[in-house]
Amino acid sequence: MIRVEELEKHFGALHVLKGVSLEVQKGEVLVIIGPSGSGKSTLLRCINLLIEPDSGRVFLDGTQVNRRDIRPEWVRQQVGMVFQSFNLFAHLTALQNVTLGPIRVLGTDPTTAGAQGRKLLARVGLADKADAYPAQLSGGQQQRVAIARALAMNPKAMLFDEPTSALDPEYIREVLDAMAALARDGMTMIVVTHEMGFASEVAKRILFMDAGRIIEEGSPEEIFHSPKQERTRMFVGKILR
Amino acid sequence: MATTVAVPTRSSALRVRVSKTAIRGAEMAVGTILVILILQTVLRFNLLDEDLWKLYLPSFLDGIVLSLRYLGIILPLSVVIGFTIGWARISRFRTLSWPLSVFVDFFRGVPPIIVVIFAAVLGPSLLPARFQSQDIGIIIAALTLAMHSGAYQSEIFRAGFMSVPRGQLEAAQSLGMTNGAAMRFVVLPQALRLSIPPLANEFAVVIKDTSLLAIVGGFELFGSSFIFEQQILFSPGNQLSWIFVVWTAVALVYFVMTFAVTELLNAIDRRYHVKGLEAVTV
Amino acid sequence: MPATFDEQRRSRVRIVDILLAILVTVGILAYILDVLALRWGLSTAYIGRSYPNYLKAAWISLYVTTIAYFIGMGIGFVLGWARSVRTLPLARVMAARRREAVAAADGGSPGAGLFLGTLLVYGIKYYVRRTADAYVAIIRGTPLFVQIVFVWSAVLVFYPRLDPLVQGLLAGVIALTANTGGYQSEIFRAGIQTVHSGQVEAGRAIGLSRWGAMRYIVLPQAVRLVIPPLTNEYIGLLKASSLLAVVGSVPELTTFGRSEAFQTFHIFEAFALVVGIYLLITVPVSKVVEWIERRYRIPGLGIQAPRTARV
Ligand SMILES: Nc1ncnc2c1ncn2[C@@H]1O[C@H](COP(=O)(O)OP(=O)(O)OP(=O)(O)O)[C@@H](O)[C@H]1O
Ligand SMILES: [Mg+2]
Repeated sequence: MIRVEELEKHFGALHVLKGVSLEVQKGEVLVIIGPSGSGKSTLLRCINLLIEPDSGRVFLDGTQVNRRDIRPEWVRQQVGMVFQSFNLFAHLTALQNVTLGPIRVLGTDPTTAGAQGRKLLARVGLADKADAYPAQLSGGQQQRVAIARALAMNPKAMLFDEPTSALDPEYIREVLDAMAALARDGMTMIVVTHEMGFASEVAKRILFMDAGRIIEEGSPEEIFHSPKQERTRMFVGKILR
Repeated sequence: MATTVAVPTRSSALRVRVSKTAIRGAEMAVGTILVILILQTVLRFNLLDEDLWKLYLPSFLDGIVLSLRYLGIILPLSVVIGFTIGWARISRFRTLSWPLSVFVDFFRGVPPIIVVIFAAVLGPSLLPARFQSQDIGIIIAALTLAMHSGAYQSEIFRAGFMSVPRGQLEAAQSLGMTNGAAMRFVVLPQALRLSIPPLANEFAVVIKDTSLLAIVGGFELFGSSFIFEQQILFSPGNQLSWIFVVWTAVALVYFVMTFAVTELLNAIDRRYHVKGLEAVTV
Repeated sequence: MPATFDEQRRSRVRIVDILLAILVTVGILAYILDVLALRWGLSTAYIGRSYPNYLKAAWISLYVTTIAYFIGMGIGFVLGWARSVRTLPLARVMAARRREAVAAADGGSPGAGLFLGTLLVYGIKYYVRRTADAYVAIIRGTPLFVQIVFVWSAVLVFYPRLDPLVQGLLAGVIALTANTGGYQSEIFRAGIQTVHSGQVEAGRAIGLSRWGAMRYIVLPQAVRLVIPPLTNEYIGLLKASSLLAVVGSVPELTTFGRSEAFQTFHIFEAFALVVGIYLLITVPVSKVVEWIERRYRIPGLGIQAPRTARV
């Protein structure tokens, strides 16, 4: 479904991605963990071409998409993204946030988009918050609206960049539940998260990233309980404590 | 605003707000009358002096009409200039940014009256001969005023754009919007809302600035009244206290105009106000 | 776009871009200056000969501005302080008084005098604040041009025998003082209101005396808040002093430049000198203020500069 080969990315003198390759099958959930600054967010942003990689290839359904003749906007329609800081459009209500993409990008007519939007909000448990502005929602509710917003584009895959790390503990559960439900429905997902419980429960594979490279790959069991690499062991030891 | 997703009409809330404007208006009216009464007692004049108004009314009304006409040109033009420059300066066209920052610093550093005075004299020579006419000096001076305010407004719009968090643009792009669409449907509506309160201030300044045109012969309200004052001063037999009537009346008109414009913009601000949008600055 | 994500591309283009930017800027400026100089002539001899006179005129501008600025600062502080006093709703004040009185009189009935006193103080506070508000509204709602001419007319009517220069200076200083006082009160009001919220209590809670809280908590914050907008206000007032040109008898920079221009017909030179001098004063100062503001900004603490006095 999504395949990445030999991605390289520099920010000025900073070498952030040093040849990253990975593959995700249709319906699979892949979790990426790694210390701060290791390039996880940059990797996700390269996959939906929010950032243009310096070199390397990004494939979507077998087609290379980081090519001159493919519009990055088209790629981003196919791959939804959920941000750490929600980034809900502050001037729009929850429902308007969800319908903006369908109306403006896909050209759906507003009534249909509205009906779909309400369904999606109901799916993340927010049917009654359709007319609330982001500032009137809790962090967990905002993040669930953000998930609905990404789903409204009917994406083939979803990227989650630490979706719960800006949340108060009491709201983390509801967001993870929404994500788990999504996974059960067969969504292809790449999730950057340090929520061990979620990773063990939902993911088949976990990647450990450090300093722009993928250091280790394995099942949750392997990564969390018997990591092969020393650095993985140290990192896992820290977050498990 | 170009958001097609209609902002819900909060009609009951709107009614409360309208009456708030009404209360402020009433308060202002009472205050103004009080101030005028005090001025009249201290400086010993009568604002409704019939003899004076018989002489003064024509130039008073002509002045107001001319002021409004100048405003009708200057205000919209200054918004266009300010918005364009503000946008250009945050765009990635660095090439534009430099000359524009020189433009902005120039107009912000020089008193507008100087720009007006010299624009009226020097300005016409920048234009080819077929544009020359009797009033070209004043027209150029008015345009320069628009540029002057445009320079200030460009900073307002620029600040508005810059206080929209980068994540908003990123989120819009992640939905597959082009840069243009993200700008139009996500960044612009927020930036404009954030710009309205400082714009209200700036519009008041523009209204007051039109009086500067008097110094180059644009006889709007201030100018026509200034001429009239000279007549009072230099024709014996006139009451000197008439001067105070003239200037109180002129001040009153400007006051009402600035009050109306700021109230209007504030009402728009309240109408389109979104809770939390003022707090998104990062 | 406010933030584009291809920093990479940007840095590649940067050198070309900057060169192009300089070229365009210089080009446009050179074109304008060239056309003007061609049409109006540029006599360097005139500039060399008379720039000291312009500097002298600039000194008069600075002089008038400075006097008005500092007297206005007094007015502004008092007004700002008066306007920053937020009174509680009268009913709540009265209820509190009643509780105090009941407690003090040990169950006896509170005296009517106390209530009248409270009412009086409350009323005075209220009207002082509203009067100050009205003053600022008038200053901000009418053109400085009109304010100057108004005061000037009053001087002409009441002191017709004075020397025109003195009349002009008097009117100018009074009008500018009144004007900047109004604008500065906005700055002080914002400063006081921003700092006052709970900071004194917090300071006293950690054991500082009232003066100590003032000295170590309120003042450092208030000064930091108030200095940049106050500096901007000085610049604004300097530019505003150019409006004394309407009086005509005070030879400040604008008046002087205007009369030179139309008497000697070195119009372009006069323009260049006047504009040059103003820019030389205003641009560096406001750049420094901007820089200081960026450099020393305390996150989460700041007041909106209430727009400098313009006209
Ligand atoms: N737009 C950018 N410009 C310059 N440097 C950047 C940019 N984005 C990221 N970086 C740098 O690239 C490095 C990797 O950043 P990235 O956000 O991918 O890390 P991360 O693994 O997501 O970390 P975290 O867990 O803190 O989110 C960091 O050192 C960061 O400072
Ligand atoms: Mg990250």
